[in-house]
Amino acid sequence: MKTLIALSWRNIWRHPARSSVLLAAIIVGLWAGVVAVGMVNGLMQQRIDYLIESEITHAQVHHPEFLAEGYSWLDIPDHDEIVSWLENDERVVSFSSRTITDGMVQSPVKTSGVRIRGIDMASETRTTNFHENLVEGEYLDSEIRNAAIIGERLASEHNMEVGNRVVLTFEDINNELISASFNIVGLFRSASVDYDERNVFVRADDFIDLLSDQPVYHEIGIMLSDEEFAAPLVDELNSAFPGIKAQTWRQLSPELSMLVELGGVMVILITMIIMLALAFGILNTMLMALFERMREIGMLLSIGMSRRRVFGMIMLEAFILTIAGAVVGMSLATLSINYFSDAGLNLEMFAEGAAQLGWDHIIYPTLSIAEYAVILAVVVMITLLASVYPAIKGIRINPLEAARDA
Amino acid sequence: MTYLKLAWRNIWRNRRRTLITISAIVFAVLAAIVMQSMNRGSYEVMIDRMVNFNTGHLQIQDYRYDGEASLDNAFHYDETLRGRILNADPRITRVVPRVETFMLAANDVSTRGAAVFGVDPEKEQAFNQIGNYLADGRFPEAGEQTAVMGKGLADRLQLGVGDTLALIGQGRFGMSASGLFEIAGIIDHPIRDMNNSAVYLPIQAAQELLSAEDHITGLLISVQQERHTGAVAASVRNELEAEELVIFTWPELMPELLELMEMDLAMPRLLTLVLYVVIGFGFFGTVLTMTMERLREFGVLLSVGMKRISLSFVVFIETLIISAMAVAFGITLSWVLLKLIDPISLSGDAAQAVIDMGFEPIIPMSFAPDQFFIQGFYVFLIAMAVFLFPLVKILKLNILEAARS
Repeated sequence: MKTLIALSWRNIWRHPARSSVLLAAIIVGLWAGVVAVGMVNGLMQQRIDYLIESEITHAQVHHPEFLAEGYSWLDIPDHDEIVSWLENDERVVSFSSRTITDGMVQSPVKTSGVRIRGIDMASETRTTNFHENLVEGEYLDSEIRNAAIIGERLASEHNMEVGNRVVLTFEDINNELISASFNIVGLFRSASVDYDERNVFVRADDFIDLLSDQPVYHEIGIMLSDEEFAAPLVDELNSAFPGIKAQTWRQLSPELSMLVELGGVMVILITMIIMLALAFGILNTMLMALFERMREIGMLLSIGMSRRRVFGMIMLEAFILTIAGAVVGMSLATLSINYFSDAGLNLEMFAEGAAQLGWDHIIYPTLSIAEYAVILAVVVMITLLASVYPAIKGIRINPLEAARDA
Repeated sequence: MTYLKLAWRNIWRNRRRTLITISAIVFAVLAAIVMQSMNRGSYEVMIDRMVNFNTGHLQIQDYRYDGEASLDNAFHYDETLRGRILNADPRITRVVPRVETFMLAANDVSTRGAAVFGVDPEKEQAFNQIGNYLADGRFPEAGEQTAVMGKGLADRLQLGVGDTLALIGQGRFGMSASGLFEIAGIIDHPIRDMNNSAVYLPIQAAQELLSAEDHITGLLISVQQERHTGAVAASVRNELEAEELVIFTWPELMPELLELMEMDLAMPRLLTLVLYVVIGFGFFGTVLTMTMERLREFGVLLSVGMKRISLSFVVFIETLIISAMAVAFGITLSWVLLKLIDPISLSGDAAQAVIDMGFEPIIPMSFAPDQFFIQGFYVFLIAMAVFLFPLVKILKLNILEAARS
């Protein structure tokens, strides 16, 4: 065994060019795998974070039928008890109660169906960063009475701008149709056009005055210190308060859930293609290297080295190279992930033409330790597997022919 | 000519070596094309879903409608106009008329806002298979006075098949519009907002209700392939020059969507670049060891008096032939492979998430011809760049050392 190791070690150094090419291929493969997975992860994570932080939050509480029906009389029972429960829970970072009902917005141009969301400025700003979506005008802290902010898209459909008035029509908690005029103080643009088209934000206080003679709330958005807590918190809420329905962001947004799941599949497929390309490159290099060494191996066989030991020698060479490549490749990959996770990678340079990219064109890659480990294991496996075939070919050589060749 | 013959013989003298080199390029082409096709496929299916449920690839409207989306700005539509548009470009597959407006939908106690669509049932079905989403009942035939509504809206109004739906609103030029319709079917619409607000009426019934006889608000046009959108728009624009009509392409109608998709495409482009690097290195390894193996041969040729430049030229022709053959073969093989794997079926949680959104749980492959050639060409360029290595080696080769090795 010792002789075999010494032999392999010397073989590696005897052909520095060939060894370094193999080494480079492994390093590049590892680096590519880590960077690709890290980038896709980063992109997905950013989208999820964006939606969670700007609107959905980690968990929400509603009246069990509110999301399907949207009527203002389906308000959250025991609202105050839930609020004090949430205030005393350590996992909860912040939460905000919203008064919501479905209604219509009317302008001289047309009428469209919207969801009217009454928000409490102070707690909403603590809980979500929706206010960052404001593109024109001011936020609801404006002095103007009955202030409203609407989606940029909805505004352009209605030919409205900041300073115009719109009429909002909705049913109050007694099933009476109410119409009230609101002043547009600002426009927002979120990541979803549909959302911009169908949501109007007003102050909860203004809205509650119109809906009812006592405070009503239809939604509580809850931000947690860790996304992991969402499922257990929701379970506890549901058993503590039977009259409500608490849901996690995954249950609330099938779109987001689809994005996450599809993204996961795409990562696997893309990594598979890159890894296959890597395996094939290594296999080919190994095969070529073997043909170059035919004479040498033929010689070893004819002076009496057993085929098993020749096989072992070739595999050992591959193994040493793989380990060296893995160490260097991993260090390089970690360095580049660390660099880009601070500096970000601007995807704008990969966009076609002069197209303006949306809000998340700078990607900050992330990778968990487990993912590093999986990629490392896959690359090592692939390299070793890719050297088995050339090694088998090597021991099948006819020593006489090989020695005569070249 | 002699060079060509030499190169040709060199290629076949050592078949094993040639085969390995060719297989390296073939595999590179295969990987690049499959990756591209997968990305493009999921991109195209996304566009199709959005386009079919929203705007069509192209949409014709009255020139005032974009500024003010009201029934007053509907336009006159008849068989003559339909014929003219269909004849404007052979790549047009469907022309689908719609009357769209906002009304109040009511049962006997409460009301809800509703997006009312007057559609030609047969054409709409061919366009976006809307009938396949029926949860209950059936889609009405043309000319009927019945309605189909989104399940969300029906649940909110507690209406079902056979019940009567009241629609109240405003028709063309301020005419009041109200009517009662028997509900023929309930649709579980894949787009949630539509599910909560859509009411479909046969187009004649809608036009009558809204005092808009023979008028429509938008004419949706589908074309054979999404990439023909621009060209078809130009032909239709040409045909309708004299009319007070404008034609929009889907990116013009949904610019924000395009922005988001550009983003989705930028990522795969970056990953493709990563793939090229991997391919390049793997290939470089193959070529480098191949060159090492041939050093002695090169040395001998040079020492018997062959000019370096001639030898380089022979090797260059060899690589040119090998790369071209390999790329051509790679393109063919990837087409076959794509046919075999298309479409990739999803399973488990991923499939469920897609089904929840009302879509088929598959990732389709794209067969757009340009991707085959473009990816093939890129790999060819990579191959030629890597093949510079043996040429440089020949020009710098120390004859004595090479012949001794």
